[in-house]
Order: sequence, then structure tokens, then C-alpha cells
Amino acid sequence: MSHIKTLAKDSLTLYGQSFQSRFLLGTALYDSPQQMLDSVSASGAEILTLGLRRQNPENGDGERFWQMIRSTGCTLLPNTAGCKSAKEAINLALMSREIFNTNWIKLEVIGDDYNLQPDPFQLLEAAQELIAQDFCVLPYCTDDLILCQRLREAGCQVLMPWGAPIGTGRGLLNRYALKSIRERFDCPLIIDAGLGSPSQACDAMELGFDAVLLNTAVAKARDPILMASSFKGAINAGRDAYRAGLMQQRQTASPSTPTIGQPFWHQHTNT
Amino acid sequence: MQLTPPLQIAIAGSGLLGRLLAWQLSLLGHKVVVYDKRPPERDTSAAYTAAGMLAPISEAASSLNSNVLMAGIESIQQWSLWCQSLNLTNALHHGGSLVLAHPQDSAELEQFNHDCRALRDNESLNIKSLNRNAIAELEPHLSKSFEKGLWINPEAHLDNRQLLNRLDAILATQQVTFNFNTDVNVGPGEISETQSDKIYRYDWVIDCRGAGARSQLGQLRGVRGETLHLHTREISLRRPIRLMHPRYQLYVVPKPEHRFVVGATQLESEDVSPISLQSSLELASAVYTIAPAFSEARVLEAGVNLRPAFRDNLPQVTTEPGLVIANGLYRHGYLLAPLVVEQTISIVAGNNNYACEKLSAPPLTNRQAVYEI
Repeated sequence: MSHIKTLAKDSLTLYGQSFQSRFLLGTALYDSPQQMLDSVSASGAEILTLGLRRQNPENGDGERFWQMIRSTGCTLLPNTAGCKSAKEAINLALMSREIFNTNWIKLEVIGDDYNLQPDPFQLLEAAQELIAQDFCVLPYCTDDLILCQRLREAGCQVLMPWGAPIGTGRGLLNRYALKSIRERFDCPLIIDAGLGSPSQACDAMELGFDAVLLNTAVAKARDPILMASSFKGAINAGRDAYRAGLMQQRQTASPSTPTIGQPFWHQHTNT
Repeated sequence: MQLTPPLQIAIAGSGLLGRLLAWQLSLLGHKVVVYDKRPPERDTSAAYTAAGMLAPISEAASSLNSNVLMAGIESIQQWSLWCQSLNLTNALHHGGSLVLAHPQDSAELEQFNHDCRALRDNESLNIKSLNRNAIAELEPHLSKSFEKGLWINPEAHLDNRQLLNRLDAILATQQVTFNFNTDVNVGPGEISETQSDKIYRYDWVIDCRGAGARSQLGQLRGVRGETLHLHTREISLRRPIRLMHPRYQLYVVPKPEHRFVVGATQLESEDVSPISLQSSLELASAVYTIAPAFSEARVLEAGVNLRPAFRDNLPQVTTEPGLVIANGLYRHGYLLAPLVVEQTISIVAGNNNYACEKLSAPPLTNRQAVYEI
């Protein structure tokens, strides 16, 4: 076997920018900013999401907190968490572009208060408008194939379907839909939200998703720093497994030890 | 330096720490002057806005810090002693706290229970699981929809405004001088007025301005908190109720005269503008689901204030000759004040080797002061 894949540089490219890490981490819900910074460092993440909806961004009242996030040197991905209409999300995106000096936006328009499910109609409307205004839109969407198609047509170069509703930790709820999306789109796909354990993140990467974005599973762990490191390992393992090519599952046992010496009439099959 | 009383001591900030320190230091015979930029008639301190909970177990479970737990359990005992010496017979309530979640959020309660138990093997912790009937027996006025709860002891709550009023009255009799409407900068052994450049010398300056010290303490930030103060005669509660929810934890704390404090939001913002509609909705709907009879409660106040916090959200007491800086009590003002007061007084008494081990912070000596001038 050649080692081309092993040796080749495996970077993630989003809107023309390359990253070595495939782990995008949120900055909310930690016990302290110090714990957040230590978790970021342990995660190896190069892209951090942050919300500013409730921090009175017009007056820059979250500045001291934002400064700590900037100090990581990571690429910042402001989000529109908490917005419930296209208009709110667009306004917040415009504000965050000024504050953080970036045209990247994690577009999130919530349709249901309880499970924070994205509103696909408002999301698409906001994406169209923001792309017209030169934003690089990373939309948080459901696993609906048609919605993903529409977002691609609108000009989104990255899609971020959910694994499960935000904060539930349930992993990939609809594998069929997620697999279909992976098969149908060749753009970068990031599983955003719903992952609770490193094994689920690994699962997403094995399915061929390009990266994973999460927050709660790390921030709410008993030891967030250790959990960040654990996710990092799982994401790398899943990515390597995907690149290495998983074997096909088979119905029958197939011994890895040669069966030479065993009479052929003892080799049963169930088929 | 002279270490026996009377020392000339200036305290910057008349919040909880400022007032407790003024009280304790003047009792020790020192001459104390307090500076605060606020007007005398309007208490803008975080201590006044706060709910006055002493909830070491619940707080430690949400931040998983067992040092906060141990310091907090000692703190309840200290508050008992202080209330006795302040002759506050009915301001400290020892009924524990009740932690609840609606049936659809029961995972939050299980997580909380798990986190409490993970804190530390400690015989003094008493965490009791309750069913619907046991909840109703403990707090008859709550909604009957709660199927499971946790009763957590030892936890307590203080009638904090009663306490602050009593401290003010006592300080007036102890010849503590208050300079209100006076914004100051602090330095070793000196206080300078920002408006006039006047400088005053003291044996010790103690800086406990909370979020008000941000201009001098580069590492300090404010964390916005919003509360609702309600009044209703329809409900009475005996202890603080904490409601677990997937996205926030809210509490309602009973106060004298049929008042209740509902809190508190926690936003990484230094915004002190009035409460937002979103926050009002969250607080109001949470308290409504705790007991629907709250629907006709009157909203007396909507408090907004900044919790002073360092990066690790733990308090710091730092010192150099002539100056002590005590700040960063974050959301644990009442809970950790006894510890911070004890450390500060110990420094002023000449015990610079006092090790600040209780919160796992490095020792005080040789520790660089955090202020920037």
C-alpha cells in the first residue's frame, strides 16, 4: 500500500481559508472564561463561534469578554443565535461584521423556542440577503435535502446540518438523511449541534462529514478541558477512518486468521 | 508600620465587602473612612440587587468547584455569628433549597444530582430526593406538576436588604465616615479623588469597589445579571426554589413582607441598561410555572447590575504594603464574603503570610498585585 493519503496534507477549506483542525468549538456555557480558554486550547480548534445577541452589541458591552476570545488567535465565527426572523439575523450579522471585522457568519434562525429547531424559510431568506451583501454564510440547518439544495443555490459554500437539536447530546438522529446529504453535496459539510459524546463525533466524521461544531458537550462536561481533548482525538480518528476507507460490513464471519489446515467441509456458511 | 489600633484605614466601595470590612475593622478599634461614587440615598451595589442566597452545594454543583463548597459551608456558620452580633434575629433562614425541574426537563435534575454527588464525599451534605407528595409537603404553594425534586442542605438565605440597613445603622454609631458622591483611584497607602486630584494618605487602603474598579483592574470584568422583585400575598415559600432548565437556571427567593426575588440572568456583557424583554419573559415564565398564582404578583422592581469577575470567576485578595485589593466575588458575593473579609482583616492585622488556600488560589505573599495604574 502507498502512504499517499497518510502523508498528504488533509486540510479543511472553508470559503478559501484552510484549517488543520476539523473541530469548531462554541464559547458559551463554560464556568469561567479561563475554563473556556483552556478548553479551546485543548481542543486544537481554529474556529470559534460566539453569540452576541444578548450582550447589547450596539454599545460594545461584551467587549471584555470578546477580547478574551480574540486573544486565542482563532478565526471567529459570530453567530446569530437567538434570532427568530430573517430580519433580526441580518441586523445582527451586520453588527457582528463591524465588531469583529469579519464577513463570516454562522447563520442561525430559530423556529421553535423549545428545541431551537431552525426555521428553514427564514434561514433561506436571510442567507440570500447576506450573500448579496458579501457575507460568507455558514448556515445551521436541518437535515432536509431540499433545504440544503436551496441554501447551496443561494450561494452557501458550506452547509451545517444538525445531528440532533441543540444541547440534546443525541448524536446523529437521522443517519439516512445525513448520508443522503453527504452523497449529494460535494461542498464542505459540518455537523452542527446535537452531539453529546466523542463517539458520536467520530461517527459523523466516519460518515464523511468534513468537520464538527459543538459547544454544550464540552462546556457542560465535568472536566471540559479533558472533554475537549477527547473530542479532538475522536474527530481525528473518525476523519482518518473515513480517509482510510472503512471495510464493508458483512453478514458472515470472516476469520482474519487463515483457515488453511482446516478441512473445507468444516467451513460453514449461513447463506 | 504600626500594626496595633488605631490604624487609619480607607475603604473604596461601600458594597457588601466595604460595609462588612468597615464594621469589623471599626470594631477592632481602627479609624475607617469609606469612599463611594454613588449617592447616599440610592444603593446601587450588587449586594442590594442580589438575592442573598447562601447555596454552597448548588453553586458548587453548577461550577463543580469543591473549594467554593467548603468555603461556602463555613460561610453559613460565619453569617450565623454575624447576624447574632448584629442582633438580626430573623434575617438568616436555614431551610435549605429546593431544586426542581419540569417533567420534560428531568434530565437536568438528574445531571444536577449527579454533579452534587460528584463534588466530594462529605458527611455534612444532605441531598434528599423528593417525590410529588414530599414536594407538596415541603412547599404547599408550588405547582403540582413537579414530579421530582431535590432538597439540599445545608443551604440558607439572607434577608440582604435588612442586613445592609442594619450595617448602615451600626456603622453610623461606630464613627465610620462615609464620603459618597466621591469617585476615587486607589494606590498603596493613598486615595485620590478623580474629580479634584486631591490625595489622602492612610495606613491601609482597601479596594473593594466590585465592578466599579474595572478602570483600574485590567483583568476584572462585569457580568450582567437581571432580577425581578415581585410582591404577592397569594404565595408563601419557606426556602429558595431553583428551577433547572436546559438553557438556564433560575431561582425564586422569598423575602420579608411577601416579596420575592426572581433571578438571575447571566450575560457576558457590561451593559447596565434596563432589563430586556427577553430576560423579563424568561424570568416571569419560569416563576409562573413554579406557581401559577404568581401571575397576579406585582412587579416592584427589575434590578440590573454587574457581577465583578476575574477570568476564573473566583475571588482574589491581593496585597502590597498599604494596599489590599479584594474583588471578583462574581455570583458568590454573600457566599464568599466571610472568607474574603477574614483574609483582608488578617492582612491588615499584619499577617501577610496568610495563605489563600481555601479557593485554591496561589498564596497571597509574593503575589503580584493585579491593579494597573
